[in-house]
Amino acid sequence: MNKIKSKSQSENRNNYRNRTSYRKGQMEIIGLVIIVILITLGMLLMASLALKSEPQKKTFTGKGLAYSTMSALMKTTISKEADCTSIGLPELGKNIIDDCARHLDSASQYNCIGPTTKQRLHSCDFLQEMSFYLLNATLGSWNKHYELHSQLLIFQEEKPIEIMSPVMVEGGCPQGKDRYSSGLFPINTESGLVENVLYLCD
Amino acid sequence: MDRTGQIKISETIAVLFIFFVLILFGIIFYYKYQQAAFFEKEEELLGAKAIEITLKTLFLPELICSKGAAEPEDNCFDVLKLDSVDKTFRKYADDYYFDLFSYATISVKEVYPGDSSWLLYDKPPLKINRKEPTFFVVSLRDDLTDENKPQYRLGYVEVVAYS
Repeated sequence: MNKIKSKSQSENRNNYRNRTSYRKGQMEIIGLVIIVILITLGMLLMASLALKSEPQKKTFTGKGLAYSTMSALMKTTISKEADCTSIGLPELGKNIIDDCARHLDSASQYNCIGPTTKQRLHSCDFLQEMSFYLLNATLGSWNKHYELHSQLLIFQEEKPIEIMSPVMVEGGCPQGKDRYSSGLFPINTESGLVENVLYLCD
Repeated sequence: MDRTGQIKISETIAVLFIFFVLILFGIIFYYKYQQAAFFEKEEELLGAKAIEITLKTLFLPELICSKGAAEPEDNCFDVLKLDSVDKTFRKYADDYYFDLFSYATISVKEVYPGDSSWLLYDKPPLKINRKEPTFFVVSLRDDLTDENKPQYRLGYVEVVAYS
């Protein structure tokens, strides 16, 4: 009788051990699941932060500013102080660019005094100096990087000609960089079409 | 048996402790994230407000370059209007322009050839928490010249939005 009792007691003990080890295993799995859930949540939050769309303001000011700057720059009238040796005051985006495109390899009609060097310059050099001066006084003072290109497209010519070397500050806005374009500002000249474009970046 | 029970209890306590520590970390992380998101949202809203005010200013009939019934010029302010608009802005600052611009400061500065400046609207709040300046390059058309055609100066409009 005693033997039977002790046998059943040892069976019970074994069952109890099995159940507790099973419960322990369950608890460990739950702990693991919680940790996995927490890590997943953290990663999801980080991903949502990383994938957040570009702020509306940045896009607006980037595109709008590039366009408005280019538009204002092209319209700007050269002042009397520049003494451009011509009848009337020339416009930067009209008369000066036209003159530069026409007289790329010869003496220009407009010989204005540059705002920085204070010397009489060829219209192409004046265009470059004046553009740099104006862009530096606006975009440059707001710590914006920029790059201005002016290319002459001649009819039936394959390659466009740069009428001035690109106006830029601190490396400008290379192609790989996140940059905003003003769009093309074409100006019809006697020599061909001059395409002007301004890139803006931070 | 007592000892095994004690060990089990302490094990459970340890697991619960770690669990609550993890929960606490989660709550702290979420709180910090929410705080950052709140500030970001506030900044975004202020940015949107600055854009709105800038756009309203750029197309304000009191300032934009117009010529009779012709289409007004984009990104251009009339110098004649700028010179005389100050009175109108001051007179109707509270009952008209405040509804348009709310708490903001709007000024126009000439960059070339001169260095004139015009303070159009200035209404900062009593307590400034945050301010967002927005710049826009504009042409300043001057019709009062010796020549027959208007001259264009270069300038910029600065809009500071406050919250």
